[in-house]
Amino acid sequence: MDATTAPHHIPPEMPQYGEERHVFELMQNMLEQLLIYQPKDPIPFMITHLQQDNDNVPKIVILGPPASGKTTIAMWLCKHLSSNLLTMDNLMAPKFSSLAAVAREHYQKMKKMSNTLLVRLIQERLREEDCIRRGWILDGIPATREQALMIQTIGITPRHVIALSAPDTVLIERNLGKRIDPQTGEIYHTTFDWPPESEIQNRLVVPGGISELETAQKLLEYHRNIIRILPAYPKILKVINADQPCVDVFYQALTYVQTNHRSNAPFTPRVLLFGPMGSGKSLQAALLAQKYGLVNVHCGQLLKEAVAGESKFGELIQPYFQKEMAVPDTIIMKVLSQRLSQQDCIERGWVLHGFPKDLDQAQMLNSLGYQPNRVFFLNVPFDSVIERLTLRRLDPVTGERYHLMYKPPPTLEIQARLLQNPKDTEEQIKLKLDLFYRNFLELEEFYRQATTVNADQDPYTVFEYIESGIINPLPKKVP
Amino acid sequence: MQAGGSREQEARNYLEKHRIMELLSYLTSALLFFRPEKPREYLISILERLRIAKITGVAFPFFMDHSNIVAMFEMMDTSSKGTISFVQYKEALKTLGLLNKDEVLIDDGHIITLDKFRAEVNKRTEEIWSSF
Repeated sequence: MDATTAPHHIPPEMPQYGEERHVFELMQNMLEQLLIYQPKDPIPFMITHLQQDNDNVPKIVILGPPASGKTTIAMWLCKHLSSNLLTMDNLMAPKFSSLAAVAREHYQKMKKMSNTLLVRLIQERLREEDCIRRGWILDGIPATREQALMIQTIGITPRHVIALSAPDTVLIERNLGKRIDPQTGEIYHTTFDWPPESEIQNRLVVPGGISELETAQKLLEYHRNIIRILPAYPKILKVINADQPCVDVFYQALTYVQTNHRSNAPFTPRVLLFGPMGSGKSLQAALLAQKYGLVNVHCGQLLKEAVAGESKFGELIQPYFQKEMAVPDTIIMKVLSQRLSQQDCIERGWVLHGFPKDLDQAQMLNSLGYQPNRVFFLNVPFDSVIERLTLRRLDPVTGERYHLMYKPPPTLEIQARLLQNPKDTEEQIKLKLDLFYRNFLELEEFYRQATTVNADQDPYTVFEYIESGIINPLPKKVP
Repeated sequence: MQAGGSREQEARNYLEKHRIMELLSYLTSALLFFRPEKPREYLISILERLRIAKITGVAFPFFMDHSNIVAMFEMMDTSSKGTISFVQYKEALKTLGLLNKDEVLIDDGHIITLDKFRAEVNKRTEEIWSSF
């Protein structure tokens, strides 16, 4: 209690619980809603908000020039995410809404939508039960900066904004082949997206306004407006190239909307690096420790330190080292938990490598409460491992380590006296690798949220991959 | 922009008036301390109790009850003289989240006994809760 004399020790279960349940994001969302609506009675408002439980429903805006395929993408996303599609047309459609009737009249008279009416229609639609429960996808709205600002002012904020883009010439040509199915409203194309069933083919109609001149005019209007809308969504925007097959565009869009953005939640990395010998685990761990201040915990090193330091663990471990036998799991766990429970590990986070080697050890690690929150499997093909390890040499005079391919010795004289570690011969490496891969499948199953990294590249590329895996929130697996 | 500035000010006033940050801080602490299986349901239950307490005027069960305050005092008063220093008093209030950021406590030279500590903690907690 007395923070003046001793620092507080927060039990590690608290930050783990906070991370798993995304407590920070929960509170942040609630605070956002409170600030947008500023209800007179905050408590009933908060109760309703929590009961809705709609923090993760899709809230997407899709923008793009005519003929970019945005309606198609919007409809596919809607079907896939079971959400609601909102377009200019279907906002005006409802028969029972007086507001929609007013909007329809206005549109018929002026041939254009009034911004205030549009925004009010959106507000009304978004308050309906299905939009609250299953989210919404706006197709082609906002079309102008005024609309974007008005939507923002009434408190509607999308979580993902996708902007499709393609060269104008492609779009003008594409638009000429546009065909619409009057029954379902789906859009087809004579070349790129032709429906297989002949009965659909027969009823397709040519929509109005697709001649080259009209498309060019619409494109001009679009470019004028989009340049002023995009800056309104700085962190949540993604531009996708629409000049590819629409399936590709769809998959890019789907992956994007299913990722969460980085939040400011407090996060202490507890990283586990797995990989066969020679995959670069120690190097990556050292780089991570250096850049992020994490504690580098190398299991083998810990044991050797215990022996060297002649602690009571060291005495227990020594006989195993002398007989060259594997140290039993219980002793390893004790040494490891002593290290991981120290203040600097809890505060700054850790990078663990060299442990666990099989399923039992992994389960023991979990049961002690030291679950890692990021796990990486470093994949290296067998030949690369052999190359990396068998060419290692040591200079006995200076103690410098060399590699005949990646870091060759500078002079022939040094090269003549280099020695090789007997553990680095091909047979020994093969034995160790066999052992590793035997346990690999079980461990892969156990750590289902692990990221696989191709470690057969230069160390800094691998490091960047691992970094992005740690910094970004864990990807949601596509069901 | 003028409009932006005033809306921001409005938002800040709203937070102050309803003591939203203290409420959220309390909810987060409760979640992390009790670690319920179903966090949303748990939060809803706390908020419901709070709502009812407000309507019926029944006192809401605070985080720290009498025995906790006594235990805390005894932990700080290591030599059992029955008083704590001013610095300890200030730090304790800060730890409990009962001290506003810019508030400055004046050391009036009097020693702080258990009764005075308890009275102060209760008074501040009452103040915060009455505005929820």
